[in-house]
Amino acid sequence: MTSETAPAELVRSKEKRNLFRWRPDQQWEAYLFIAPSLIGFTVFVFLAVAASLGISALNWGLSGPKGFVGLENYIQLLRDRVFWKAFGNTVFYIVTIVPLQLAIGLAIAVALNTAIRARDTFRMVYFLPVVTTIVAGAIVFRLILSKTGPLAGLVNGLGDLLNLPLAMPDMLGSTKYSKWSVVILTLWKNVGFTMVVYLAALQGVPQELYDAAHVDGASGWQRFRNVTWPLISPTTFFLFILQTIGAFQLFTEPFVMTRGGPAQSSMPVVQYIYDNAFRFTRMGKASAIAWFLFIFIFGFTLVQNIMQRRWVHYETE
Amino acid sequence: MRTKSLFVALGLVLVLALVVSACAPPATPVSEAPAAEQPAAEQPAAEQPVAEAEPVTITWAFWGSPEEAASHQTVADAFMVEHPEIKIEVWNQPWEDYFTKIQALWASGDSATIPDVAFLWPTPKYAAEGVLENLDSYIKDAGYDLGDYWPGLLESASYQGSVYGFPRDIEVNVLYYNKDLFDAAGVAYPDENWTWDDLQAAAEKLTIKDDSGNTTQYALAMEGGKYAKWVNQNGGGILDDYVNPSKCMMDDPKSVEAITFFADLMNNGYAMRDADLSQAGGDAAVFSSDQAAMIIQNTSRVSAFNAAGKNYDVAVVPIPAGGQRWNGAGGAAWVMSSGSDNKDAAWTFLQWLQSDGGGESLYTDRGEIFPALQSVAESPAFMTDQPPANKQGIIDEAAASGVGGFGYFPEWDELNSSVISPYLESIWAGEANPAEVLPEMCQQANQFLADNGYPK
Repeated sequence: MTSETAPAELVRSKEKRNLFRWRPDQQWEAYLFIAPSLIGFTVFVFLAVAASLGISALNWGLSGPKGFVGLENYIQLLRDRVFWKAFGNTVFYIVTIVPLQLAIGLAIAVALNTAIRARDTFRMVYFLPVVTTIVAGAIVFRLILSKTGPLAGLVNGLGDLLNLPLAMPDMLGSTKYSKWSVVILTLWKNVGFTMVVYLAALQGVPQELYDAAHVDGASGWQRFRNVTWPLISPTTFFLFILQTIGAFQLFTEPFVMTRGGPAQSSMPVVQYIYDNAFRFTRMGKASAIAWFLFIFIFGFTLVQNIMQRRWVHYETE
Repeated sequence: MRTKSLFVALGLVLVLALVVSACAPPATPVSEAPAAEQPAAEQPAAEQPVAEAEPVTITWAFWGSPEEAASHQTVADAFMVEHPEIKIEVWNQPWEDYFTKIQALWASGDSATIPDVAFLWPTPKYAAEGVLENLDSYIKDAGYDLGDYWPGLLESASYQGSVYGFPRDIEVNVLYYNKDLFDAAGVAYPDENWTWDDLQAAAEKLTIKDDSGNTTQYALAMEGGKYAKWVNQNGGGILDDYVNPSKCMMDDPKSVEAITFFADLMNNGYAMRDADLSQAGGDAAVFSSDQAAMIIQNTSRVSAFNAAGKNYDVAVVPIPAGGQRWNGAGGAAWVMSSGSDNKDAAWTFLQWLQSDGGGESLYTDRGEIFPALQSVAESPAFMTDQPPANKQGIIDEAAASGVGGFGYFPEWDELNSSVISPYLESIWAGEANPAEVLPEMCQQANQFLADNGYPK
């Protein structure tokens, strides 16, 4: 297999580390092929990211740097009440959106992995929001969740009909519920993606294992708990990391639906970065928040990578 | 082998060169090209000497919908007829993109792309960034009359005592009332003698609620952000000084009383809550659909209500007993970029825009603005026979204009949106008691001011 020859190649290439000494056996053409993308990445991503680290140590207004401040932008953040509020909101989004998205996505995937009627239509319907423009979705959800919207009419009408104290909470105008509006929209938008990835994973679970479990007298739940769940755990891990990073970077959903309000109750950290950069023209502070967020996501992912050994089960051993 | 590696190196250099050249500015500024072509095209028809027909081109930036852009274009055309030596090129963006894009143009520092004259708000913030031209010397040299502006208005376009822009219009918030709904409720029309008590009494009669206590017809719809009207009428304030503040005044008993008055109108179901108002489509929508009998808003609603044929009029906004009439002087301003390469032409245009008989009269005549200049407000351009009948009410409110609606320092927008608005939003939502949270809000506002080195 190729894996046996790989170490030998690695050793050889180590001897000729100098990239500018072209050798035919080194497959230098590869560099030519990746050059457009590599140059694009260097100029538009790597240099921009590196520059933002530099900017975070400066007092940078609209028309350029106004002085070196060192770690001042970071120190100010620590006692910035609005930043911590936005950070708390982001944490709320992570602890609600990520588990709900995995649970609902998995539930739908399991249901659609069986031989039900119109299965493909269902799959398409659940995946449709993923390819829908988020701004359009957010505007429609604003109308649906509004106090005068159809959902409120339904809930209040049902309350009147059944003589129950049912009343639609003010989903967008109240500081208590605005975050939940964002959660609902995000779930609607992203559950389809989770479902598709889980569907692929479920189809990779060998049928023999289910048959064997069945013979051993395992119930439906036991088969799921002891066969399906461990075998799809690498997928769960992948989705968990991906969705967590996505939730950290949440911006468009609350920005379009609530503008982060009322009273900053739904404002995520990324919107605070946007506000600082483009509304308050504090580029230095905005860069500092972005780096703070990066370090946090990086640390979080690192911890998850270490933790995965306890619960993620890889087939190849 | 050697030729091969040379080939690769050349290829890489070529790709890099392409990327770099794509980023570099074009050798000849694009904006100059049409200006050079124009005289040649006109020459046969106009039969003018080439030297005279070669106008200076200035770029004019503003935000707005296509309709608004068309209106600005007619103003530009009128100017070019009077001043053939100057050609106006329009740079238009929707409101959502305007500020991000114009900031990028200024940040580029490239005089070929920087707009010479721009519409802007808030002026002091940009003046502090150094991207705006100080207009003091132009005003002095031209003998331009600043006394024609409404009181307090130029403050909104000034920074450190210098004028950096000319407000095009002034926001005059008046009380619009629906005559049909007043007649149906048997309430007398509001007049200049109305106090807060009269407003409250009328509101009670004009509000209609269903069996479960939900309001179906509101007496009043008013954006929460217009709270400064009540505060200043009652002798309170947001800050002790609006240019160089040292402390927040919203915990002053007079300010608290005013905020409580407004909050109670909402808590009693007389006035729409701020969030409900925006969900319902804003005050123009609820007034047009008879969901609210009164709105307090600036004069921008007039043309829509006239077009819809509403039976309405306006009145001055009721004041508290012993209080004073007050209108927050502010409006987006025309400014000149400090990076402009045609400052004299830009000044000629600015001065014409802000003159009786120039841009001010055109915009006023089209019913788009309430003019920043008192002379234009008293001219036939504003005194038409179109509704509302009570134009004197608007002029009376405008005459009571002054500072107090917002800060004139660069960090105001940040202070307002990160500290003040969030607290007020929770009050408008009925989730917080003004007397309890306003002192806390002021404490944080004071901290913000101290952190930013105020008072300076």
